Amino acid sequence: MKTTKNVLSLVLILVLSILPIFAAGTQEAGKTGVTLKLEQFSGSDATLSGKALRGMIAEFEKQNPTIKVALQTIGYDDYFTQLQSKVVGGNAADVFELNYENFVAYASEGALANITSLLGDTSGFNDTAFKAFNYQGVQYGVPNSFSNVVLFYNKALFDQAGIAYPTETWTWKDIEVASKKIMNLGKNIWGFYRPFSFHEFYKGAAQNGGSLMSADRKTFTVNTAENIEAASMMVGWQKDSKIMPTDADMAGMGDWDLFKSGRLGMIVTGIWAFADFSANCPFEWDITIEPGNVKKATHFFSNSYVVSATSKYPAESAKLAAFLAGSKEATKLRVEASWELPPVTYPEIIESYLSITPPQNREAVFASLDYLVTPPVSIQQAEMTAIIQSYLDQILSGKQSAKVALDACQKELEAKISL
Amino acid sequence: MSIQGRRGLRVALPFLLPSLLGAALFAILPIIISLLLSITSWTGMSKVKITDGFLRFVAEHSVGWDNFAAILSDQEFWRALSHNLYFIVLYLPLMLLFSLTCALIINAPKRGTGIYRVVYYLPVLTSWVAGSLIWKWLLSPVYGPINNFLSFFGIEGPLWLQSEVWAMPSIVIASIWKDMGFYAMVILGGLKSINIEYYEAARIDGASPLQMFQRITLPLLSSVLFYVTMLSMINAFQLFPQVMVMTKEGNAGPNGATMVMVERIYKYAFRYGKMGYAAAYSWILFVIIMAFTYIQKRGEKRWVNYDV
Amino acid sequence: MMFKKHINTVLYHVVAILLGVMAIVPFLWMLSTSLKSSGALLVIPIEWIPKEPTFFAYKRLFALTGIVRSIGNSLVVSTGAVVVGLLSSSMAAFAFSKIRFKGSGFLFMMFIASMMLPSHVIFIPLYLIMNDLHLVDTLFALILPYSFKAFAVFMLRQQMMGIPDAYLDAAAIDGASLYRSFFTIFLPLCKTALATLAIILAMDAWNDYLMPLVLMTSTKNYTLPIILNALSGQFKTSYDLLMAGALISVIPLLIIYIAAQRYFASGLQVGGVKG
Repeated sequence: MKTTKNVLSLVLILVLSILPIFAAGTQEAGKTGVTLKLEQFSGSDATLSGKALRGMIAEFEKQNPTIKVALQTIGYDDYFTQLQSKVVGGNAADVFELNYENFVAYASEGALANITSLLGDTSGFNDTAFKAFNYQGVQYGVPNSFSNVVLFYNKALFDQAGIAYPTETWTWKDIEVASKKIMNLGKNIWGFYRPFSFHEFYKGAAQNGGSLMSADRKTFTVNTAENIEAASMMVGWQKDSKIMPTDADMAGMGDWDLFKSGRLGMIVTGIWAFADFSANCPFEWDITIEPGNVKKATHFFSNSYVVSATSKYPAESAKLAAFLAGSKEATKLRVEASWELPPVTYPEIIESYLSITPPQNREAVFASLDYLVTPPVSIQQAEMTAIIQSYLDQILSGKQSAKVALDACQKELEAKISL
Repeated sequence: MSIQGRRGLRVALPFLLPSLLGAALFAILPIIISLLLSITSWTGMSKVKITDGFLRFVAEHSVGWDNFAAILSDQEFWRALSHNLYFIVLYLPLMLLFSLTCALIINAPKRGTGIYRVVYYLPVLTSWVAGSLIWKWLLSPVYGPINNFLSFFGIEGPLWLQSEVWAMPSIVIASIWKDMGFYAMVILGGLKSINIEYYEAARIDGASPLQMFQRITLPLLSSVLFYVTMLSMINAFQLFPQVMVMTKEGNAGPNGATMVMVERIYKYAFRYGKMGYAAAYSWILFVIIMAFTYIQKRGEKRWVNYDV
Repeated sequence: MMFKKHINTVLYHVVAILLGVMAIVPFLWMLSTSLKSSGALLVIPIEWIPKEPTFFAYKRLFALTGIVRSIGNSLVVSTGAVVVGLLSSSMAAFAFSKIRFKGSGFLFMMFIASMMLPSHVIFIPLYLIMNDLHLVDTLFALILPYSFKAFAVFMLRQQMMGIPDAYLDAAAIDGASLYRSFFTIFLPLCKTALATLAIILAMDAWNDYLMPLVLMTSTKNYTLPIILNALSGQFKTSYDLLMAGALISVIPLLIIYIAAQRYFASGLQVGGVKG
């Protein structure tokens, strides 16, 4: 019987070595004061933004001595996988960051707390950005940052080609004409870059008078004549007029790198390029509202802070979210770090934002907001985006004509995405 | 303790307990749960507890066999499956050739084979995260060493991972680099267990090395080669980490060229908010793997030599 | 005849070295890149050997938060998986090979069947289970699943079946318990299989990426592959930094493997080899 006894003691050792963990898992935090968990993907530790973020948190803790904030920043690639498992296990952070693409899905699943009445004064927020995080009449989040897309241009190349700088009145036609002149300057110099992505396409469709969804957002309208024409024209920049480099031309170089190397006349990209371009462009550059074809259209990206539905401290969490996103103290730090655009309307914040150069024409950032179009929205946002993108890739690679691809896209969306 | 003391479940149980518990908790239970989830419309974005009303949750969210029907009627599924098969067609013969060669080299009666044993196994020790980083850099079209090396000979290298045609072959190259050493070790295990007397007898009869390889080594190795084929095929159907890290930009590689089944499962589970659908997808994959294993098993007798 | 033998020898070495080069060149390139200054990364023609080698990338790497800790976590998880894994699977293998009991065959088949299931697809269920066990975000949540590998039981059972029962009988006559025989006779006799298994278990635990990503929810519990992947997202073109990180991640396993490689001399006896 010695055997059984010995083996049993062995098993016991195994079990005992695991047990302390069970105990540790159920321990609760101290009773005095509250520690809020904050998680986000933007503002990683080593960057200026990260420093600004830590400054905002310090300020919040100073104003609210009973609340401590435990910050955790996770890389964008891994953030949403982790978030999902945390929500499933009921372990989500009290306040976490969501991009617009994922906001609707989490809101509709009941993972977010209703903070409509917990936010206090919200009049300082930019209205468009604020409303974006309202789902079925309930405010589930506050916008923390805000950015849009403008036309960047290399002044030096325009000067060399002897042409006038782009203005607000430009259209796609003007882009093409100017690009050709710039390309005459030499080999390996390109006129224009605008990725054929989901975001660029829905905006491009709008610039051509089309739309990917009906106004009531009940049906897809991907394969209308306007959209097909817009798609053909957009890929035409690479295929017909050849003012835009193809992937093969770029040979692994990024579009920003191409611009920074001084070999690209114009690029349509986000204002988050300001910091990088300011530091790394050995030439003068500026921006303007991006041109449309038959009309102007621009779009914006926004991230938000939301409060977990499982948070034990919804009021404190909402307070933290509102502070980080929209308080004067926090937005000031954000502007100083060139960390996108604060989603607020305080004149002094806007003023300090505008005073930083380059670009000279910073007003274009705000002027662009007058032409905002909203993206197609679905609970299955990520999947919908991927489906549309896959057909755009087909068009770009020349495998299918714009008409064939968008017809098929319409069909697949109708079958798979519920609106 | 006598032989009698080595009989009965009561004696065996203490020895079995840790493993049984482990298998039950971390293999069998997850499988049952995933089977239940596969008939639900769960998004994977809401809170669920197994110990608290899980069955009720499954019943409330049940969609019957809809997930399975939707997957099988979706063109995308067949496309992903065909990419897996394409990978296998490219990968399997090359992998067998390379790992067999490696094993024969290590097994040769020569001095200094120990160094090859270390060198060939080196990639196996590397994680796919690190390995993929290396290969992305090696295959970088302009600044990477491979295309620079090719340009010495006046060859303009392809865009590799960024090219629709070359993306999958790139994954195959990296996979062979990584797996070759492992399967070489398995084949080496087979080679070592072949009785040397066979070779000595053959040498006395005047057989050439090639003849000995054909008549002795290959037939005696057939069961190990069969095992390696089966194992690598199971793994090839589960192809994922290298795809995830090497072609994460864009939607599963250029124009979906590296869209494979587990990549889809991961996307549906963690990107598109369709956890139930993803669970059903994994069960379909499981059935496919089982079917292939079964077909192979049936074919085993035809080419595996058990007579010697 | 002699001439032919020479040709064969030359051919052998050429093929052996070519394969060796194929296996090792990526590592040399990784080493070379990690020693470059960031300015030398994107230079054409490329510098095969850095002209001005620098440890800057390593300094930068270790200055990043979380790297050192993640290496520690990976070590704990791998060691844990090896210890728990070898102990539990050799115990089970002993029971399956040396103790006769009803249902032995059936139970063993169950073990083997669980080996066939795709591992990538069960981590949400696994996460749910760990959550109910209150193990999420503890290193135990990784150690336990990594430990229980059916093939380990399979391999050790093969090994133990080759050990004659006479050993046990003799030990029994000397008054040794079954438990003692297991530890003092069987484990030492399975040394080779245990060593190879240890490396495989350590490798799996050290290199896995997705399971820790789902199960470890706070950055202080991250393992090295998560940090590495995060780096590749954050510093897309800082190849010097990424290669330094990749190299660091290989070194511990490399040391263990070289130390234990004599156990690999006879390869991995996994298949049921006949003949």
